[in-house]
Amino acid sequence: MVDVNKLRETAKEVISREDVRELIGYRPGTYGFRARPAFVMGPDEAGELIFTPACVNNLASYIVLEEKLPVKRGEEPDLRKVAVMVKGCDSRALVQQMEEKAYERDRILVLGIPCTGVVDMAKVEARFPNILELGEIALEGDRFVLSFNGTKEEVAKEELLADKCKRCRYPTPLVYDELLDSEVERFADDDYSDVEEMEKRAAEDKWAYWEEKFSRCIRCYSCRNVCPMCYCEDCVLDRLQPQWMRRSVDISENTAYHISRAYHLAGRCIQCGECQRVCPVDIPLMELNRKFYKDVEELYDYEPGTNVENPPLLSTFKVEDREDFIM
Amino acid sequence: MAVQKLSKDKVAEALGELCKFRLIAPAKSDDVVVFKRIDDPAEAYLEYGNSTIPPKKFAFPQTETLFRFIKGSPELTEANVEEEGTTVIFGLRPCDARAMAIVDKLFAWDYDDPYYLKRRELTTLVGMACIEPPSVNCFCTSLGGSPFGTEGLDILLTDMGDYYLVQAFTDKGKKLEKTLSSQLEDGSAGDEKKAKEMALASEGKIRRSIDTDGVPEKLPDLWDNELWQKVSAACLGCGICTFLCPTCHCFDIQDEVEEGEGRRCRMWDSCMFSEYTVHASGHNPRPTRKERTRNRVNHKYSYYPGRFDVIACVGCGRCINLCPVNIDILDILEQVVDA
Repeated sequence: MVDVNKLRETAKEVISREDVRELIGYRPGTYGFRARPAFVMGPDEAGELIFTPACVNNLASYIVLEEKLPVKRGEEPDLRKVAVMVKGCDSRALVQQMEEKAYERDRILVLGIPCTGVVDMAKVEARFPNILELGEIALEGDRFVLSFNGTKEEVAKEELLADKCKRCRYPTPLVYDELLDSEVERFADDDYSDVEEMEKRAAEDKWAYWEEKFSRCIRCYSCRNVCPMCYCEDCVLDRLQPQWMRRSVDISENTAYHISRAYHLAGRCIQCGECQRVCPVDIPLMELNRKFYKDVEELYDYEPGTNVENPPLLSTFKVEDREDFIM
Repeated sequence: MAVQKLSKDKVAEALGELCKFRLIAPAKSDDVVVFKRIDDPAEAYLEYGNSTIPPKKFAFPQTETLFRFIKGSPELTEANVEEEGTTVIFGLRPCDARAMAIVDKLFAWDYDDPYYLKRRELTTLVGMACIEPPSVNCFCTSLGGSPFGTEGLDILLTDMGDYYLVQAFTDKGKKLEKTLSSQLEDGSAGDEKKAKEMALASEGKIRRSIDTDGVPEKLPDLWDNELWQKVSAACLGCGICTFLCPTCHCFDIQDEVEEGEGRRCRMWDSCMFSEYTVHASGHNPRPTRKERTRNRVNHKYSYYPGRFDVIACVGCGRCINLCPVNIDILDILEQVVDA
């Protein structure tokens, strides 16, 4: 567990540096067990920062979500660094963004958090519904301890842990300037059993399954917007002339949207699971992403977001690349 | 007519009777509850808290074709909403019905929207009182609503244990009661009294609140306040808060073309999307999420009450529950009050 005092002291030092513009971290949410992103602009604000298993958001998304307005006449662009707190999975988003040359390494200052796993907030809220007063979640051994309304409840880690954490290979950040705790060993390997189960199903079963899921989609684009790898300046979905994707919300367009999205993330998705977490209608998007992830690993022995020096998989060609699956 | 009641044993039969209309009821799909067209009473899921998506789309569809144009034909084929037929939305929550009453004002304002108003004319709203507030983030009572509110409803059902108390308030509601005369029985005045007590008890369990007095007048003065930067910093710019809002009603109109056929379509739009205000020149008067968040709050809490004398928020709590980054409208409003 990250020592909150150490976190705040480090954050205070970092945000006091002349070459740092802002620090993106976590602070307590507005109700219950929620935590939310914090945008620290000065040393006085560092005192509200936290890191707990409730800190589910992947803050790497904010590096590429930044809105750059034209610089006014007579002003200079602000080129100071953005400091960002990342867990292991989140750090892979930074690595992948840099593999893709989204920005240079010296633009960011990374505070790495060796992560012992975050909760699935939906599971927490199903187990402890209607908690308004701010509660806290801590990990003690193999149990989450939830403190709220003056009481404490213990729950086995397994029961509230986010699914992505159960197969996490990289709990310790792969890129950082400062590590806020000692390294964490990987807790499990990914056996892809869920993907294999889906692969075994008959095509018509798979279609019926996805048709039902996609028919619920309302195209709020929260899965796109939260994704640290969806950062095209001009997204094909927002284009009106020519219009590549109709705005009509129906099973045909919804399917086209989700399939295109999954393809655009092949060899790029780092499995932070944010798309599935934010979906208001519970579409299991990671099942699609994980199929691509598995294929990419098997075909090219490549894992996205693991090494800044790796060239992006689908923009490079190697003569030894497999091609036996190409017709 | 005396107050009526519907035994829970007869609910399936009553829903079966209503299937002769276009019956819309809550249904469960995985853990998501959405309103949908029901052809079989067994599909209805009435033991729900609140639906993820409000039932507004049955008056204001997410996508609707206004007219079609066929290659080689000079005629336009116009949509005929009448063909959708008599519709019953069964089991919606009082906040969502009140939201429809609020949005009605907009669609009947400077121009009578024929599509929306026709659907509303064809639709009977059968509400389901909230015995318990469905969410920790419910705050309907701060905005003039109630878990037992009747505004916008034709009929309100109250779960009394073995049966539902059935109270009809409008001609449409009374007409529907007649349709269900074989399933309904006479209730008692005692039931009504008990329901009033239950309403007070439920209202007492609403835990979040905001004093909106003076907020509509104050918001314009806070245009350049630094609070907008702070409350929007975490915003991802997605459409959850607006698409899931029962009072959000913005739409876009686009032409879509497919194999010799063109369609002029109207679809939900969101002020949180970057292209919502993009001009043809490329200029965007709301260039960042800060301006968009400010607009969302101003529209609901200042512009709408300025025009229609009612705040365009019913306190259903969906935008709070489902925001991926915990942007909380009550947190924003508290900052507005304190500013």
